[in-house]
Order: sequence, then structure tokens, then C-alpha cells
Amino acid sequence: MQMMPLGLMGPGERGEIVEVGQGTPECGGCRCKEERKPGDVRVEDMGLRVGKQVEMLNNSSNLVLLKVDESRIAIDRGVAMKIKIRR
Amino acid sequence: MTEQTPHTANDAVSSAAPRPLVVAVAGNPNVGKSTLINAIAGTRLQVGNWPGVTVEKKEALFEHNGRKIRLVDLPGTYSLSPYTQEEIIARDYLVKLRPDLIVNVVDATNLERNLYLTVQLMELGIPVVMALNIYDEAEAKGYRFNLHGIETMLGVGVVPTSATRRSGLTELLDKVLETAAQPADHAPRILNYGDDVETAVALLGDTLRREHPALFALYPERWLLLRLMEGDERLRQEINLAQDALPEEIFHHLRRGHGEDLEALMADARYSQAAGLAREVLFKKEERRVEMTERIDRVVLNRFLGIPIFLAAMWLVFKLTFDLSKPFGDWINDMAGGPFKHWTTVLLGLVGAPDWTVSLATEGVISGVGFVLVFVPVIFMMMFFITFLEGSGYMARAAFVMDRAMHAMGLHGKSFIPLLLGFGCNVPGIYATRTLENPRDKVLTALLIPLMSCGARLPVYVLFVGAFFPNNPGTVIWSLYVLGIALAIVMGVFFKRTLFRGEAPMFIMELPPYRMPSFTSLCLHTWEKGKHFLIKAGTYILAVSIFVWFLLNLPWGVEHKKDSYLGQAGQVMAPVLSPLGFGTWQAASSLITGVIAKEIVVGTMGEIYAPKKGEQKKPEASFGEDLQEIAVSFGKAVKESASNVVSTFGVSSLAADEKEDRGPLKATIQQTFTPLSAYAFMVFVLLYMPCVVVAIAMRQEFGSWKWFGVAFAYQSALAWGMAMIVYQGGQLLGWGV
Repeated sequence: MQMMPLGLMGPGERGEIVEVGQGTPECGGCRCKEERKPGDVRVEDMGLRVGKQVEMLNNSSNLVLLKVDESRIAIDRGVAMKIKIRR
Repeated sequence: MTEQTPHTANDAVSSAAPRPLVVAVAGNPNVGKSTLINAIAGTRLQVGNWPGVTVEKKEALFEHNGRKIRLVDLPGTYSLSPYTQEEIIARDYLVKLRPDLIVNVVDATNLERNLYLTVQLMELGIPVVMALNIYDEAEAKGYRFNLHGIETMLGVGVVPTSATRRSGLTELLDKVLETAAQPADHAPRILNYGDDVETAVALLGDTLRREHPALFALYPERWLLLRLMEGDERLRQEINLAQDALPEEIFHHLRRGHGEDLEALMADARYSQAAGLAREVLFKKEERRVEMTERIDRVVLNRFLGIPIFLAAMWLVFKLTFDLSKPFGDWINDMAGGPFKHWTTVLLGLVGAPDWTVSLATEGVISGVGFVLVFVPVIFMMMFFITFLEGSGYMARAAFVMDRAMHAMGLHGKSFIPLLLGFGCNVPGIYATRTLENPRDKVLTALLIPLMSCGARLPVYVLFVGAFFPNNPGTVIWSLYVLGIALAIVMGVFFKRTLFRGEAPMFIMELPPYRMPSFTSLCLHTWEKGKHFLIKAGTYILAVSIFVWFLLNLPWGVEHKKDSYLGQAGQVMAPVLSPLGFGTWQAASSLITGVIAKEIVVGTMGEIYAPKKGEQKKPEASFGEDLQEIAVSFGKAVKESASNVVSTFGVSSLAADEKEDRGPLKATIQQTFTPLSAYAFMVFVLLYMPCVVVAIAMRQEFGSWKWFGVAFAYQSALAWGMAMIVYQGGQLLGWGV
């Protein structure tokens, strides 16, 4: 089993999410309640959650574009690096 | 909130009462919710704001089969957790005002994710009717739904709809009435969170019933328990429950088995409910074809092509907006200045009104309001194209493409569009900040918009450049635009470090599939965006115009403009401006009136500098001739507008044509300004406080004068500082001759 950050996937690659930004020391990710400010949207609420198949559509700028189910979701690379996938 | 509707589920049954059925419409963003509401309510739709915030609130009151229904549109949300402004609004409304019924608009092409919100809505214990929207597209994709399955498994009514084709709307309303007639029979199913959670919920319920029985009268029971299980801080504070009021042993067992984060545990459970449901009721043909949306995206979001395509698209929007609207703006201007003034004068003369009222009506009211009306075609046209870009799905791509560049200013890609619009006119730019979800981004963007040199400043540049820099007018004007952009970047960085400290919120955005918006919905949305400007700004401007007229004509019988209040104010202001090279009362007075709209600077200068010549009397036109004139020139405007589209690439709408002969004014200016002080003056006009219309737009968008105050303060300082640097620096370098 090979785990890698979502942000490193190339366009067209697919994988399954195994971890969503938990336990990272800087805690800028998605789970830590103390860090959350009004206006933040949970990546999980938009369908990026453990067990999901994702496809990388575009990974050429500081945003990455993913396909999850039937939605296309753009996220910061910083957030993308905290999501781990398995190919 | 104004419409308090306190009642329990029971009295909704005895609905012989005239009280309308309150139906809340909830759903994810981009599911066609507002199109659906527009299609149902049409012109009966009322748009306002949710109390205290700038999130739009739409409501409609209408009758269906003899039953009054009040539709309340909740903001689009992905969940009901209390983190975003939209989520809090939706949740507070549902929990505290308890509508009779919830219509949950669901995107049939993306069922699983939409069901996540559905599951949360069901926990409120309010009957739910699901509008399975975009049904036609889902069918075209080969999806098949077991509608009966959804109804029995969830205990909610389901109606397939297609808002863009207006199909299923009557059925939806029928289902709403049917469900509302028997609410007891339509309670949503209670979904099971698994034994561990359910045991804890039961324990928590017992504890609360014993110690805080009053809570159950205020909140839906299951919702309250589930939220407290999740550790909902907002709710806990709201009900004044101490952090340790809940016995730890309830959670202890769960935490041991499932880790610390109960919120995540609950969210996962809910999500697997949604996923499981979707699996049961939706049949997809297993094929992975590359959809049109993805093919377009490959080009539009391409690393190299993305930005050029975006710039080309924006250029086109800009160009079309101004080419199409300018003839109409000119027409309004001519009408206000010609026939309207003329006939007002005649009418007031007939009733024997004193001269000063005639002057007030024509110079003050008609000219002032005319100035605002001239903006109307531009604003509506621009709103139309923006609505189109939003509705088609391209706006989200533009934000994606521009994100990196905007990071320099501490903003996200989405802010680029309002800023760009600001070059045309700052006002639609300010209104366009509405498309930004985050309050921080909204305010920061709006603060920077006035630095984009708008079309109204151009006449001032044209006048001065013509007088002082006839050899290279383009370069000089261009340098002012560039200065504005450069200062926007500097101020963006400055604000990021001071007023808006901290990380830019993380960027997560959905790129909706490309869709062709329907013309009716485009018009409806354009009207909604534009009418605020028309109504409110119109009333404010009227007041301000009258005020300025009095300033120019008081004290009574003032002979010389210098002695009017405005002239006196100009004299007071003048010393402040003298380090900038234009410390004359004339310049100062012009700048003061320029606050209404910056092109007025030119008009006031004309009035002050040029001695009053006897006005050329046109031959008196009859009323009939004037009417004809109005119609003919409107026809001309339509024709011009149409031909502008055809020859969109050749028209120079932005190169403000100098219609009137400003020869004498130019000569006077050449005597009172030097090239250096003229440039300093232009810099000042570029930067000094935004015009009244922008002020009103900011007031409307942010609900208080605070942010306009900030803009006013920093821009005044910036304008004075920059003009001073230009003038004094220039003199040191020996250019001030």
C-alpha cells in the first residue's frame, strides 16, 4: 500500500482518500475546531472524505482541481497536501 | 427577524386560519435553487438581506390551490454545522422559527453529496419535501432513480423537477400542500447512527430531561441531542450549558472506542447514511466518458491558455458592456439635459413658480438625478454579463485561474472580477463583491476597488491632458491607470498586515458544470442585482444634488460663485491643497462637487472659470416635437448600440470624445496650472475619496458606514500624499517650471 499526499497526484491520476488532514502539528487543516474561523468550509462537507475515489483534473497552479463523485472541487495546495491518498 | 412564526407542528394542521404556510427552501449551492424559486415565484419574489448580515434573503408570498404559501429561501449550504455565515443563518431559521415544511432542493446528478444535507434536515423533525432538481440532465446521463425507494426510506416526499425547463413545479407545490395537510403522517424517518452513538444519545436525553426539561420546548429533541453529542460549542453557549454540565461518562465510552473527535465520528456516520441511501436508490450506467465540462475545462484551465482566455473573456465583457450601454447613457443624459429641463422650466413657469425653484428643479434635481440615471444602462448591462458568466459556470473558472496573481494582495481569485469591473465603474464593482463568500475578502476587495480608475475620471484626464500634454496623451493617462493598480497592490499588502491580519481563509470552491442559463432567469437576476442601485441610490443622490445646488446658490442672491457657500468652502480647503500645487478656491470647489461623481469636476470648473456667456437660445420646441425627438433619439441609441456590437472591435467607446468645445476653459486652466500641478491634480482626482454612489453602494453592501469611513480616510491620505510627492518631488527635480 502506497500512501501519498493528494497534492502530488498528476492530472488524470486517481486514488482513494485514506486520511483527511488530521494530526498535523500546524493544524491549519480541516479538523481542528480551535483553528476554524467563520467562513471556513469543511473539505469533508464538500465530499472529500475517507474512502472516496478522487481524480486529479488539474494540478498546475497553487490550486488543485479534483473530481469527487460528480463534483469538481478546487482546493489550496496546502490543504491538498494534508489529504493522503492510496493509489 | 421580522416574521415571527411561533407555533408547534400541531397547529399547522388546523390550517383554516389565514396564516400562510411557511415553507423554507434549503439546498446545496449550485443546485438550481434560486432558478427554481424564481420559476415558482416569478415577480412575487422579494429580495432583502438577512437581519444584520449581507447575505441575500429571498421571500415570496403566493397562492397555490387556494392556500397561501410563504416561500423563504435559505442560503445555499453543504451542511448545517455552525461554521459559515450561511450555515448559521439557515440553521437558526430552521431551528428557531420552525417553518411548517422544508423543501430540500437536491441536485439529481450529484445525489450522494446532496443527501448529506438532507440527512441533517430530517433531524429537525420538520416534514421535508425533496425537489429532485436537474432531473432531466441526470436522466440524460443515464441515471435511474427509485423515487418510491427514497420516499419510503427517508419518509420525505420526492418530486422530480427541472427548474430551467419549469417542469415539475406544480407537482412540487401539490406535494407541499399534501404533506402540509397531514404533517403527522409525514415525519421524516429517524436514521440510526449505530448502537454506540444511539446508546449515548439515549443517556444524554435522560440526563437533559431530568436537569433541563425546558430545553425540549425550545429545540427539536433529536437535533438538540445529536448536536450536543457532536460538541457543538455555539449551541452549548446558546443554551447556557456549562462545559462540564454533561456527564462525561456518556462520551467516555464513545471516545474510547472511536477517538476524541466526536464531531468527525458523527459526520462520518451521517455521510455513510447518505452514501448508503444513494447506493440503494440510484442506478448509474457504469461508464466513464469525458464530459463536455471536462473538455472545456482542459482548455480554459490550461496552465498557459487559462490567463489569456480569461483576459480575452473579460475584455469582451467590458467592451460589450460599454459599447452596448453608452448610447443609452448618452440618450438619458441628453433627455435629462434637453426636453426634461425645458418642459420643467415651462411647466414651473406656467404655475408661476419663483425663479429659484426653476433653477433648483433643473440645475439641482434634473441634472443631479440625471447623472445617476446615466449610470443605469452601464450597471444593468454589466450585471447582465456577470450574471451570464456566473450562470454558465465560467465565473468559478475565472477565480481559479486568477488565484495565484491575487495572492499578492492577500486575496483569492474570486476578488479579481469585482476589481476589474471597477475600471468601468466602481459601483458595479462594489456590488459584485457579493459573489465573494468570505466577509474578509468582501471588505478588502471593496476597499481596493476605488483605486481602479473608473470611467468617470476619464473626462478629467482628457481635459487636463489636452491642455498640458498634447504630445503624449495616451502615455500620461495610461500612467494614471498603472498608478492606481500599483497602489492597489501596495494597499492590499498593507491592509493584509494591519486590518486583516492572519491567514487568508483557505480556499475551497466547487466548479459547477457548464450550463446555458435561460434568458428569463438571466433577466430576473440582473434586475435583482440592479434594482437596489436604481431605487436607493436614486433617492440618496436626489438629496445630495439638492444639497449641492443650495451650496452653490446660497447665501441668497449671491452674485459671484466665489461667495457662494461652495466657493467659501473652496477657499477654506485651498490652503490644504497648496502644497500639492493647486491651492486655488476654484480647484478646491471643483473637487468638492466631484464627490458626487468625479466627472462633475469638469462641469464645475466650466461653470466657475468660464464667465457666463448668454446661453444660446434654441428655438422653442413644442411638446409634440420634443416627444418625437425623444423617440427618434432613443431609436438612434438602439441602432448605435446594435451597430456597436457588430463592429465591437472598432469602436472607441472608452476614448471619451470631447464633444463640447472646451477651448476657453482649456485656456483658463493653462493659466492657473503648470504641467506639474496638472499632473498632481489628476493624481489627486484618481485617488481622493470615492464618489457618493460608491459610498452608498458600500453602505448597502456592508450595512454600516464603517468601511466607507476606512476607504474615505485612507484614500484622502493617499491622494494628498501622492499628489504632494508628485508636486514637491517634481519641483525638486526642476520640472515645476
